Amino acid sequence: MIEPLILAVPSKGRLKEQVEAWLADCRLDLAAAGGARGYTGALKGLPDVHVRLVSAGEIAEALDAGDVHLGVTGEDLLRERGGEVDQRVLLLRPLGFGRADLVVAVPKSWLDVDDMADLEEVAHDILARTGRRMRVATKYLVQTRAFFARHGVADYRIVESGGATEGAPAAGVAELVVDITTTGSTLAANGLKVLSDGVILKSQAQLMASLRASWTTAQLATAERFLRIVEARAAALQTASLVWPGGADGEVTRERLPLSEVAAAAAELTARRLGPVSSYRSDFVFQTDSPAFEALKVRIST
Amino acid sequence: MRPEPKVPAVALAAIRAPFLEAGAERVDPPILQPLGLLLELAGEALRARLFVVQSEGGEEACLRPDFTAAIARLHLASAAAEGRYYYEGTAFRAAPGGDRPEEFLQVGLEIYDQGGTPAAGADAEVAALAWRAAAAGGRKDLSLWLGDVALFGALIDSLGLAPVLAQRLRRAAARPRLLAAELARAGAEPEAPGSGALATRLAGLSETEAAALLEEVWALAGIEPVGGRGPAEIAQRLVRKAEAARTPALSPAQAEAIRAFLAIAAPLDQALEAVDEIGGEAPALSAALGGWAERVERLIRAGAPVERLMFAARLGHTFDYYDGLTFEVRSEALGPERPVAVGGRYDSLPARLGGAQTTRAVGAMVRPWRAYAGGEA
Repeated sequence: MIEPLILAVPSKGRLKEQVEAWLADCRLDLAAAGGARGYTGALKGLPDVHVRLVSAGEIAEALDAGDVHLGVTGEDLLRERGGEVDQRVLLLRPLGFGRADLVVAVPKSWLDVDDMADLEEVAHDILARTGRRMRVATKYLVQTRAFFARHGVADYRIVESGGATEGAPAAGVAELVVDITTTGSTLAANGLKVLSDGVILKSQAQLMASLRASWTTAQLATAERFLRIVEARAAALQTASLVWPGGADGEVTRERLPLSEVAAAAAELTARRLGPVSSYRSDFVFQTDSPAFEALKVRIST
Repeated sequence: MRPEPKVPAVALAAIRAPFLEAGAERVDPPILQPLGLLLELAGEALRARLFVVQSEGGEEACLRPDFTAAIARLHLASAAAEGRYYYEGTAFRAAPGGDRPEEFLQVGLEIYDQGGTPAAGADAEVAALAWRAAAAGGRKDLSLWLGDVALFGALIDSLGLAPVLAQRLRRAAARPRLLAAELARAGAEPEAPGSGALATRLAGLSETEAAALLEEVWALAGIEPVGGRGPAEIAQRLVRKAEAARTPALSPAQAEAIRAFLAIAAPLDQALEAVDEIGGEAPALSAALGGWAERVERLIRAGAPVERLMFAARLGHTFDYYDGLTFEVRSEALGPERPVAVGGRYDSLPARLGGAQTTRAVGAMVRPWRAYAGGEA
């Protein structure tokens, strides 16, 4: 048996369900060994893939360390690894779920603070007035530090938060927060507002590859098969084939179009008295090239 | 952790000698320093460079990244008015992904006093000491770079700007991005009066009335105030913000003067002439420059190298706690990123640690492995 390709997927929560649904949609159903509570598994149709079920945070860590080849986790968790993470992990595909924004949120009662420039000034005022730095509650230390530095905000302190970060200002342990939000309603319920230029990262779940893992030729070949299936399914979901009688001797013409252009193209054809026009959806559309695999191959070989 | 190679005993003794002659008390502050305090003093940017340690259930600590704060704490704990401290020991700074040593030797001197004598005396003594110690390592490619954080303030004063703008620029001195943004905005039109209706109403009110009005606005908008800032403070800043928006930006000529000033990096006499030229007849800058003539004379008397004195207007600006003279001994081979010695005046630090407002402090630190001619390459 050849060395398996190791794929890490989330072991719990909503993200786990979404990843399972995505794999199933690609006809790569995940079967956990030892039932629903197992921590390893396999993908239907790809016997050379070994699946590891771990928490989303540990997936980022394992990709960074090179313990797994591929993984699915939130970009926000990867960016928290610090340093030149793009040198160690390659983002292959955004998956369209697990969306969350990492934002800077201040009390709504701060009517004088709309953006990061205001925050910089307020931070300075607080230090000058109290001799203490403004406190920012967050568990995203690395990204907070980088973002604040980019905006010239220096007079602050991070208060590490384990959970329920949004309650820190009300509890009096911090003046503001840097936290993940999907709709902003939890922040608003805690009397907080997002700064106009305070979005640090628009995060979603991503398929990622570790550049530090050791890659054999066989593992790369397995990765290529996996990526081609994933891409073919995404292409199928995003496009449709338009078919109409347009040839010289009753032959039909076919053209593949993005879904959003189908109606307009059909209208144009029928206006030219070409019809009937039918549109078909495919299960998979395999292209000759695979952008994700090409990117991976280039980065692995350098 | 990457340690630094050892400096041969003879070379180290030569580098140490000027410090031993300074008549200072040898101190050996704890390696573990409270993390919270260091971040409070130096800002979160330092966190990425710290080795953080914690015992089970204990307070978060870090390995000392340098000796300045550690010795300030010793001095304040001793309750002495004055102090001269000499130290020699290992400091720790994380440098992930690089090949720089993360555990390295520092030798230094810190002087605390209550302002009875001119600051220029201690400034010159410390800078010259750093020079002699660095030069004792045997490198032939050293120069002593000087800077002055106060000079930038004097330049801003000399431009006759609106107070809000002058304040913003002074704050931007240590923040290259803010400063660049402010300079890029030069010549921009101020906002038309009438913007910010709330601010306009608040501006005419007493502090109590303004706070009451702001609380009324909160209530109307259904805002439950959280966080540590009160209504009076927010009302005041709304007024100041509206005022700032109506204040003209820097004129292109003023921005040019600031740019020209910050670009100065030259042999000392030429550099000071250039500062003088930019300042023109402005009294604030002339006064600050006048102090420099005396400072240079003292420096040379204390043993600084006339022919290797350089001046850079930006030197030390990115360090939050320096507030006067700053200096670095640089080696041509190692470049400005890896100075052999650094130091400066940090009068505001003791007060921030709870010391008397009158306490002044100046210090210098040498990295023997960088000073040693056979050392860091």
